[in-house]
Amino acid sequence: MIHSVDTILALVLLSILFSYGYSQLFRLIIVVGFQGIVVSIVPFFIGHDMTAGGIVFTIATLLIRGIIIPMSIYIAMKKRAIQSKVAPIIGYQASILCGLGVIVAATYISRQLNIPSISNYTLLFPTAIALPVTGMFLLMTRRNAIAMVLGYIIMENGIYLIGTTISVRALHIVEFGILLDVLAGVMIMATILQTIERTFDDVDTENLRTLKE
Amino acid sequence: MGQFFISILIILFGGFFSLILVRKAKFAKIITVFLLSIGCLSGLMDAVLNLIQPGIAGASFKYLNVFFLAFRMDGLSGFFLVVIFAVCLLATLYSFHYMEHSGNDVRTAVNYFFFSILIASMALVVTAANMITFMLFWEIMSLSSFFLVIYKHHKAESRKAGYLYFVFSHVGAMFIFVAFGIVYGYTGSFGFDAMGSLPETAKILVFIFSFVGFGSKAGVFPFHVWLPHAHPAAPSHISAVMSGVMIKIGIYGIIKMYVLLNFHTPIFGNIVIVAGVVSGILGVVYALGQHDLKRLLAYHSVENIGIILIGLGIGMIGVSSKNPLMAVLGFTGGLFHVLNHSIFKSLLFMGAGMVLHKTGTRSIDALGGLIKKMKITGITFIIGSLAICGLPPFNGFVGEFFIYIGGFKGIALENSVFAASIFAIVSLAVIGGLALACFTKVVGVVFQGEPRTKAAVDVDEKGPTMLISMSILAGACILIGIFPQMIIWMPIKAVSALGLGYNPIDFESILQMTANITLAATIFLITLLPVIAIRWFFYRGKIIRRSGTWGCGFTQPTVKMQYTGSSYASFILDFFRPVAPLDEDHPKITGRFPLKTYYKSQVNDIAELNMKRVVVNPVLFLFDKLRWIQQGDIHLYIGYILLAIILLLVFI
Amino acid sequence: MIESIILWLFAISAAPFFSAMILKVKAFFGGRKGPPLLINYYTLIKLFKKGSVYSTSTTIMFKLGPIISLGSAITVLMFLPIAGQQAIFSFNGDIIFILYTMGLSRFFTIAAAMDTASPFEGMGAAREAYFPIICEAATFMIFILFYRLTGELQLSAYFSGDNTIALWNLAGAPLLFIIFSFFIILLTENSRVPADDPATHLELTMIHEVMVLDHSGPDLGLIELGSFCKLFFYSTIISRLILPFDLGFPGLAFVLYLLGLALVYIAVGVIESIIARYRMDAVPQFVLTSFALAFFATIITLEFIR
Repeated sequence: MIHSVDTILALVLLSILFSYGYSQLFRLIIVVGFQGIVVSIVPFFIGHDMTAGGIVFTIATLLIRGIIIPMSIYIAMKKRAIQSKVAPIIGYQASILCGLGVIVAATYISRQLNIPSISNYTLLFPTAIALPVTGMFLLMTRRNAIAMVLGYIIMENGIYLIGTTISVRALHIVEFGILLDVLAGVMIMATILQTIERTFDDVDTENLRTLKE
Repeated sequence: MGQFFISILIILFGGFFSLILVRKAKFAKIITVFLLSIGCLSGLMDAVLNLIQPGIAGASFKYLNVFFLAFRMDGLSGFFLVVIFAVCLLATLYSFHYMEHSGNDVRTAVNYFFFSILIASMALVVTAANMITFMLFWEIMSLSSFFLVIYKHHKAESRKAGYLYFVFSHVGAMFIFVAFGIVYGYTGSFGFDAMGSLPETAKILVFIFSFVGFGSKAGVFPFHVWLPHAHPAAPSHISAVMSGVMIKIGIYGIIKMYVLLNFHTPIFGNIVIVAGVVSGILGVVYALGQHDLKRLLAYHSVENIGIILIGLGIGMIGVSSKNPLMAVLGFTGGLFHVLNHSIFKSLLFMGAGMVLHKTGTRSIDALGGLIKKMKITGITFIIGSLAICGLPPFNGFVGEFFIYIGGFKGIALENSVFAASIFAIVSLAVIGGLALACFTKVVGVVFQGEPRTKAAVDVDEKGPTMLISMSILAGACILIGIFPQMIIWMPIKAVSALGLGYNPIDFESILQMTANITLAATIFLITLLPVIAIRWFFYRGKIIRRSGTWGCGFTQPTVKMQYTGSSYASFILDFFRPVAPLDEDHPKITGRFPLKTYYKSQVNDIAELNMKRVVVNPVLFLFDKLRWIQQGDIHLYIGYILLAIILLLVFI
Repeated sequence: MIESIILWLFAISAAPFFSAMILKVKAFFGGRKGPPLLINYYTLIKLFKKGSVYSTSTTIMFKLGPIISLGSAITVLMFLPIAGQQAIFSFNGDIIFILYTMGLSRFFTIAAAMDTASPFEGMGAAREAYFPIICEAATFMIFILFYRLTGELQLSAYFSGDNTIALWNLAGAPLLFIIFSFFIILLTENSRVPADDPATHLELTMIHEVMVLDHSGPDLGLIELGSFCKLFFYSTIISRLILPFDLGFPGLAFVLYLLGLALVYIAVGVIESIIARYRMDAVPQFVLTSFALAFFATIITLEFIR
């Protein structure tokens, strides 16, 4: 039996897979934006009672997650003429294989845990696990600071997914609060990025090593 | 078992004669080759008859009044005997002209002597029925092959290879001793049969120890380090026997232990599959990076041992998950691949031997265009290459086909089996593709194109016995590939003799599969006919011209511009760089018209690299600390002996 | 049986026609009129009329290459259910035979290229040996999923009669990924953009085309026909996957099949028109995507059917 939620989540998993393999920064941004939109519409399908406020919050989330954040990063990238490669520490091919491994592991773990309240949706838990891990992976293995910011956003998408599924009640307020934090975080990062870029003429985080002394 | 022992005696006599008649070298060689062939032939006939009528024959002799040397011939040992005697027969035949101009009669004689001992000991290992007998002949086998490896003992390279082989085979034997020691500790008997009564944890321990021991003989990654050194050092017919047969004795040991332990846990299957996949993929990757023809073939032995282990692993998982068809298919595929590999690998080593014999170099990048002068060698080598890539309609395909089908049976089962099966199938596919890349490299660079150096220009092929044995093997590759039912009963009999709780075997469905392979191969061959006819029709009466190769506008091509083996492989090796680090050495190009330059590259085997770091250095460090024991004073040594005797007396 | 044989003959004879559709689509995107749809037949006839020039470096392997590559391509078509009909031959495990027969044709194509001693052909051969390895793994991954769903290991069990609809019912949306994955395999195995550019002008950047540089006359004709058939093989599978319906009338299924085929070829043409070929070192990553997709589809399908 295939739920519409599961189909959506399959798309999220797919976006995870692609985020491992893309070398072009703007494609990664598109993937993250797509992921944001798809993750945001999950609450519509998951079957909670949607109040008018809830709908407004969800749509606002969707706008911020799917459009505003990616757009602002994209503009930041364009304006500063930042290098368009994500500069991996682990190669793309190895990354794709890692991504497959992460998805398999997430599926396996979710089966072991088997939380009853969300087991109606087979893919929900694996996706929720795979997203933060992917974010961490990108943070760890990409030298380009923007790719790292994107990794951070992917992590947040995962946290949002867990939040939507586990907490039913005070869902939107809390989530919205978190989202605003993230937005602020992204803005701060953009500022820091500008500083890094101005100092080093590049956003390669390897350069920060020189600050050690 | 009478005929079996007579065959062994004939073989030993053959080796003995070559030593006695060393003064009349020519005559001695004829006698020796004749006796060895007769012995192998008679042993082969006996083994085949024994497989046809499965009866368990046994014999035992008293040895040193304490131990019994016991022998027993069942389906499994019968199958391995067929492999041993068949390949050794052709290798002996091949050696007749290969050893013609060895230049040193004594060395040739000694070589034949140890060769006969090697054949006899291999045959006796697979028929051994208790641990003492097994270990005795196992050691004789290792030692005799050691002497064969150091055939060219005046070369430092050979001595190093021999040394490595010696260390590995004895450390491996030590692991087997440990395994047997555990068994003896629990049961108090040297018999094989008591092994089934061990507690389960002990069984796992025994299996792992013996897997390491036998694996180091079979060339399982990471215990394969000796193999690419020892095979090139030995004469080619010995390489053929060592790679085609001797390493399979390790496989025999693994199967035997699995059967004897009679403990059907998925752990064993998973260990074997993982070892198989790692050996398979890394073996072929390292093979791609080699520049030495025989070293390359040696790495392919590692790969094929991997394929065999994948088959056996699937069989073991089939047993543990109670799926009889999967078990039978896995074991049959693995054993069939043992036979097939012994055929095409000895064929390839013989071909490499011919190339080495006539050109004097083993370096792939120095050769080229040999097929024009060495027609039979070239064509048989290409047939062997097609077979080792597992392509239809050659014999390599049949074994892999069974392993695939067995693996797919596991896809339908529960999750852990499913995961192992996916792993096995995808790895087999990757191994197949890499093997194809590797052998197109060998065939393309060695046999096709234009000669790259002078060594490859003036060649011919002579030595009728060499050509005959190569042709027989190539014929067998094709024949088994098209009509596998001629041979399939042999591994089936061996598998049914294992008695792992799936008897009686569903023989019909397996025959159906072989019939399908025959059908498919026939369809393919028949389809070629109209294509050939079309080609013939359109070429009728047309002018065929010959001219130089199109150089894409460049008019002064030289042979040096050909794609070399190193450049052919570099693209793929790049993908595997993390496991196959590449060392490159070339000077920077300076000036507008750089005159001379060179390029050297070497693919490092991570097992070899890490062995030095992880094993050799710590051991050296440790023994350095113990150096004070050795004072060089003979009186002290006598004291040590006394001390040892006293300690022994106290403990026993 | 008779129907299957007729369809098989149709496949061999129609393959050049469909390949010409790609050229037409490319011409459309370039704002040109493009060659006639029968161009490939004219080319084949022209080639078969000519004689040949053989390089002095070549041996019998060079002549075997075209024979084996065409022979294996049409053998493979015999095992393929065309338009939902039964295949001419079919047995348990024929997939393995098919994939390895393609491997055989690859071996001989590479051997024929290495036979010429040309550095360019060696370069093409090295690439030809590399990319299909990942493709093969991906194909096996797809068939692992199909086997898990149906319990059968033959093409007829997936692509004949109602079986394809049954596959859709069992797997659902993940089958979309499989189609994507298979399309990537099609592009790579048949040397299309973005893995390889069949219309490129520089020998250094070619893969498949450079390997047949030295073939001429009827030999080249055989190779061309073989590669048309190979493309037809993959397209037929995708066509069946995207339009699996059997609407009751025997003719209608065939029309649907042709429609699917046209869609696949047009898609190839569109991709060739709008995407540039990848840099050589990005191709493995592209092919690996197909493996990842197939693997991924397998995992999530298993989650669904649990």
